[in-house]
Amino acid sequence: MGSSKVQRLSGMQKQVLSLFRGFLRAARSKSEEERRKIEAIVSQEFRQNAKNVDRKNFLYIEYLLRRGNKQLDQLRDPGTTGLSSLQLHFSKTDYSE
Amino acid sequence: MATNALSGTSLSMRSLTSQTQAFTSLSGQRSGLISSFGRKNVSFNSQPRQIRLQISCAAKADTVDKVCEIVKKQLAVAEGETVTAESTFQKLGADSLDTVEIVMALEEAFGIAIEEESAQTITTVQQAADLIEDIIDKKSS
Repeated sequence: MGSSKVQRLSGMQKQVLSLFRGFLRAARSKSEEERRKIEAIVSQEFRQNAKNVDRKNFLYIEYLLRRGNKQLDQLRDPGTTGLSSLQLHFSKTDYSE
Repeated sequence: MATNALSGTSLSMRSLTSQTQAFTSLSGQRSGLISSFGRKNVSFNSQPRQIRLQISCAAKADTVDKVCEIVKKQLAVAEGETVTAESTFQKLGADSLDTVEIVMALEEAFGIAIEEESAQTITTVQQAADLIEDIIDKKSS
């Protein structure tokens, strides 16, 4: 019952989870302090979008995936030490409940 | 007799590998097992099986405990609540993102790499512990 639920993930859900893993993996290569910050930001961002984005809004989710993958590429660069620029769109987006 | 001896060797081999990974403190028992194997071929039949069972239980309990600790920490489970081998992540309030985080934390704690496909099939602590032991077994063999 529980296991079938987990295995029935859609392709898009898998892409999202895979992106999430990618971010957490990339965060491992940063300094301990930055890593914790990155993990907090990434986790918050994913959770917020999971809660607020309509699960049928495929176009928007695809856009978020593309954007996330680009950001992940940048984060993977050894020259990138932190993720503070990501916080920009927290303030931009108004999540009124 | 011949088949007896054969199954005996495969048993003790298995207990050897799981033992070295799990507990070094059990190595005393291991050498005892080997010497008794050399002396009497017939009567050891039930004994190694018992030891093997005991060891695999010990290893599992050890892994399960460690997994429980990590799951508790990762999900910020309340102090009063207990996490057991049978606990499903869902029941503990984990979503798929939490599960990814748990798997990543487990990877680090055990120093292994868990493939994405198998990571998504984990739903209970026991399954996670089994998968981890599988991977450790494969890595060492």
